[in-house]
Amino acid sequence: MEVDRVQGKVFEEAPGFPTQYGPERSDRQPGSPLVPHETYRDLVSIFLLVAMSFFLTAWIVPSLETPRNPAQTPFIVPDWYVLFSYGLLKLAEILPEPDVPGVLGLPAFRLTAGFWGFFLTNIPLIILVVLPFVDRGRENRPAKAPLRSAFGVSFLFVWMFFASMYSVNNLILEKWPVIADDNVLKAFFFGPPFLSFVAAYVGLRRLGYSPMYWYRVVPLMAAFLITAGHSAYILSTIGAHPQWGWIAAFLGLLTAMTIAPAVASAYLPEKAALRATVLSSVFLSLLGVLLWLTFWYYSPGPAYATEVVIVPNMHTVLALPVFSVITGYVGLRRPYSTYEYLLNECYQCGKCHTVCPVTKVEDDALGGLNLVYNSFKKEHDGVPLWTCLACDACSAVCPLDIQYSDYILEERAKVMGQSAVDGGEER
Amino acid sequence: MTLRQSLWNLFREANRTLFGWVKDRFPTAPWADMTRKLIETDQRQVPRSHAEKYELKTIWYWYPLYCLGGISFVAFILLTITGIVLGFYYVPDGRVSYLSTGKLTNPAYDSMIYIMNTVPFGFVVRGLHHWSAHIMIAAVFLHMCRVYFTGAYKKPRELNWLIGVLLLFLTLGFGYTGYLLPANNLSDGAATIGINMAKSVPYVGDLQAQLVFGGTDISTTNYVLRMYWWHVFILPFISVGLMLLHMALVWLQGVAEPH
Repeated sequence: MEVDRVQGKVFEEAPGFPTQYGPERSDRQPGSPLVPHETYRDLVSIFLLVAMSFFLTAWIVPSLETPRNPAQTPFIVPDWYVLFSYGLLKLAEILPEPDVPGVLGLPAFRLTAGFWGFFLTNIPLIILVVLPFVDRGRENRPAKAPLRSAFGVSFLFVWMFFASMYSVNNLILEKWPVIADDNVLKAFFFGPPFLSFVAAYVGLRRLGYSPMYWYRVVPLMAAFLITAGHSAYILSTIGAHPQWGWIAAFLGLLTAMTIAPAVASAYLPEKAALRATVLSSVFLSLLGVLLWLTFWYYSPGPAYATEVVIVPNMHTVLALPVFSVITGYVGLRRPYSTYEYLLNECYQCGKCHTVCPVTKVEDDALGGLNLVYNSFKKEHDGVPLWTCLACDACSAVCPLDIQYSDYILEERAKVMGQSAVDGGEER
Repeated sequence: MTLRQSLWNLFREANRTLFGWVKDRFPTAPWADMTRKLIETDQRQVPRSHAEKYELKTIWYWYPLYCLGGISFVAFILLTITGIVLGFYYVPDGRVSYLSTGKLTNPAYDSMIYIMNTVPFGFVVRGLHHWSAHIMIAAVFLHMCRVYFTGAYKKPRELNWLIGVLLLFLTLGFGYTGYLLPANNLSDGAATIGINMAKSVPYVGDLQAQLVFGGTDISTTNYVLRMYWWHVFILPFISVGLMLLHMALVWLQGVAEPH
């Protein structure tokens, strides 16, 4: 009777599982009908897109500006998608412009900023072309390939954004004269992409259940040491200034924001470290706002603190505390995906079932009891959970390296914790 | 033989003579038959994706991003239609001349004024062309990001990735050449940067500028005509072919999902 029940469950004609575990397996899967389901869905999407275009047209009619005048110096505002190229062209002024002597009868020439701009613009193209021949790993999931994903975040989004931003550097310097230094904007080409790379890498490793400790502690400690050292350097260089005490307080606060996640993740258990990171960052931010308001109210003027101290050094004293808090959080939090995320890689080749020793001795096995399959479908009702020997034979043969016994042990720990809460009763 | 019969015979003979001539040379019956069978085949279905097949629960958030390539294609179709309409009225000539009032103008800019002010719904067509272009470029960029983050460029899809990179840069080329067509002050700014960048490459710079912009000096070059040639003939010719190839390869190789 039990055999029939289990058999019925395993061999059910559920969508996605037409035939299970045998020579009769077929991969024919029912899909959605082309007409009308898919057609209508596509039509709705197309109509939405067209409607959006009409709406934008009615909302903002594209301007015509004034006719071209070759006698005037042109007013340069490229469209948003080529801003990165213009930003790189502007950045090219930091590169040398050497005179190259002519060789083999070719004329001499000069490598100008225009050439460097052209050269730098082509670097993204080269990266995109060689990408599939460089990254030849198997992993498709973003969290399982943290290096690639972190590079994508830092390069495709952050670096492209700041390269585009640099194309309007003159407008930014005009609108926010407090920056008044082009080098601050140039630093954005290197600092934020690097920091976002590290933060994304740490967060994605966490998401993919990879070993974490040193990947979290080393960047956080480095951020703390750099912030502390740089703050000390700033305080030593500004000399005796009437606002020295205030500046020291701000820098101390920012350094404290970097030390809290670093020390917490190095010396506390993960849960407590996460709590310490979040609470300390919230507390210190509020304290900072209060301090700033007090300073703004009582002090003759905040100009010196911002213009001379904070703004030129924002790539360290402002960026690193933010980096520390974010990295500490994403490196310590419990990943929102559970073990299901890892089990979902299974494409049901059935090798685990073939090697499983439990199915060879248990009576239920004759009826097709499959431990992995049943726990994956959450239909175990306790049988596979407690009959599994955790021998790891299934993980050994799994072509996708799914650690099934880890999952079983985790589930058992969960159940035991629950029964302890219930007063040690059997569930 | 009644009149009715003879009329019928006449009709039949005429039919055979007229259509039989065509049918003898171009037998359409097998094709019609195949088409009918194709339409009537029951259970025509879009195959289930990997995630649907195995009831995966945790990667649903990638799914809306899988329509970005299609969105860019739909935007391209919209651009083609509106572009054909604009092509009836646009004059690709950016050579400046002075009006009797002393104001500066050029035929391309004049034709844009005509499209915006006189052509019925001309401003709507131009607005659609403008905004669809922005939508297409944004969709293409996000589509590339999706392919990158889901690792969809890996074996066996390297060739399709390379075609996609080419298409991305062709799309940017569409945007840039289109930006230069109204022959206004912004076009001049963008053309100046483009010509200077093209010229600055050693040895081939002037040749490159001559080929792409039709000249090496912004004040004397009628770059609008050359941009029109790129925008309306060359780029569409290359991109349509590559787009079809891109989609054919997706069809043959299947959609890559993160699993």
